[in-house]
Amino acid sequence: MRTLGEYIRLYFIIEAQYIKARMQYRADFIISSIGMFFTSLATLGVFWVILQSVPDVAGWSLMEMVFIYAFFMIAISPMQILFDHAWQLRFHVQEGTFLKYYFRPLNMMFYYMSEIFDLKGLIQLVMGIVLLIYASIQLQIDWTLLKIFLLLITLFSAALVQISIIVAASCAAFWVVESYPVLGLAWKLREFAPYPMSIFDGAFRFMFTFLIPIGFVAFYPSQLFLRPEEVSLLVYFSPIIGIGLFSLAYWIWTKGVNSYTGTGS
Amino acid sequence: MSLIHIENLNKHFKVLNRREGLSGAFRDLFSGDYKTVEAVSGISFDIEAGEIVGYIGPNGAGKSTTIKMMTGILQPTSGVIEVNGLVPYYNRIRQAQTMGVVFGQRTQLWWDLPVIESFKILREIYKVDEKTFKQQMEMFNDLVGLKALHMQQVRTLSLGQRMLCDIAASFLHNPKVVFLDEPTIGLDISVKAKIRSLIKRLNTEHKTTIILTTHDLGDVEALCTRIIIIDKGKILYDGDIKKVNALFGAYRTLKVQIDNFNESTLQTLQEKIVNHFGVDKNLTVAQTEEFWTDITFDQALTPLSDVLNFVMKNFSVLDVRIVEISMENVVQKVYDGALG
Repeated sequence: MRTLGEYIRLYFIIEAQYIKARMQYRADFIISSIGMFFTSLATLGVFWVILQSVPDVAGWSLMEMVFIYAFFMIAISPMQILFDHAWQLRFHVQEGTFLKYYFRPLNMMFYYMSEIFDLKGLIQLVMGIVLLIYASIQLQIDWTLLKIFLLLITLFSAALVQISIIVAASCAAFWVVESYPVLGLAWKLREFAPYPMSIFDGAFRFMFTFLIPIGFVAFYPSQLFLRPEEVSLLVYFSPIIGIGLFSLAYWIWTKGVNSYTGTGS
Repeated sequence: MSLIHIENLNKHFKVLNRREGLSGAFRDLFSGDYKTVEAVSGISFDIEAGEIVGYIGPNGAGKSTTIKMMTGILQPTSGVIEVNGLVPYYNRIRQAQTMGVVFGQRTQLWWDLPVIESFKILREIYKVDEKTFKQQMEMFNDLVGLKALHMQQVRTLSLGQRMLCDIAASFLHNPKVVFLDEPTIGLDISVKAKIRSLIKRLNTEHKTTIILTTHDLGDVEALCTRIIIIDKGKILYDGDIKKVNALFGAYRTLKVQIDNFNESTLQTLQEKIVNHFGVDKNLTVAQTEEFWTDITFDQALTPLSDVLNFVMKNFSVLDVRIVEISMENVVQKVYDGALG
């Protein structure tokens, strides 16, 4: 068996080569990065337009919304950068090319996901960090060591929640031939994440908090830094929620992998 | 103890009985009407270290299913399967360390990377030490001139070059057993020969066991000492290749296109051939595709030139093709008791 350290080392070796190879397609990298940049910018534009017509969104100001969105951008980056191969799972499963992932002495999720390292996600990550710093200066947030520690913990948990939702949804490919709607829905849901959960009514808020907890991708943890007095106790459970969800997603993945029979060859 | 031990192995799949039409599709959603397909039923064999075994059979015979069970992808429905003393399905990672697999035309190298980088990543994955790595790479270079391809991206290799690289890669970590599934499919004769000699050398170099599934009987003739023929999930023949060799080695099919062909032509041809060569010579005449008539015969009994001459003399022939006997024909002949 391999140790975590060995896996990390191996990951760096594979990705270093992968990035070197991708850099040969410079136009591809530049165009997709510009696309990523403007997509993020457009969402910020929407906030700005909304807050031009109404003074606040459920009591949240523009700058607070920017903070939540910045948190969201950082939190979904690990999914974008490290787990992007989840999108191709249904093609590999359908065409039988998924078989090759069984033949190496490696954890299969590791081997599968290591095949793609999405460079444009780095743009998103950098934008998120810049925005977060900008918003916290504007909001005069006082960053103590404890707060920075909490930020890292909540970001880690939020990233796990987002990764788990996408991985679990992509696994539908193991049982359903036309599985795209499942992944598409999971992807769409993330668009609700950077909004204050209080704008959703009971049923949706319940769903986004307890069933598909995208509230934990951005809004709930951001409260910890924006309005600590209003924060719900649930936020302190976010590491457990993140790790629990990832375990669930991993379990679904393992079930799928074990039930896969491949195509004839 | 043998390297691979399989005893009374079964793999059954449950398949939904599908109904026709749109309403049928809707009813299928709630249907519990399954039928069981026996992909592999009750096979047993042992393979010793160092053997090259040809595992052959027509499409859908159960070859892939058996290989998938040996490599730990599929769990058997029942029966014993041990590779290297371990049950593959429960020890996938440990097994993978001692196995190599090449699956048809699907490369396992990194598509975007230069060949040498793929090998370097594999060295890390299998924890191959520096010295062994160097030795292996030297050997691959001696065998197929791998160095010339080192800096080429995998995606830019030709199919034959890629297959050579894939096969070499599957031997990098000195596996105990290598599964090669259709290694020569879609390749021209000269590349086929190269691949066959590579496989042969790699087998002798480290006494690596090789299990070869193929549709190309030439592969089997060139490489295997033992052959296992499987059809409909059951083993038809398991033994020395020499016995089977006579079967497909000597048989040829002469395909002819006859001018003004009609139903009576086939009958006339059949009668004339039997009259001329005799019933005991075992010539069969059949029409398998439009315009073409197939005459299959044993070269050991009737020389090809005789058959060709006879047909040309008696009929106006437009076109002629000579093909080696197909896998399906071999299996049919085994059914007919050719190996008695």
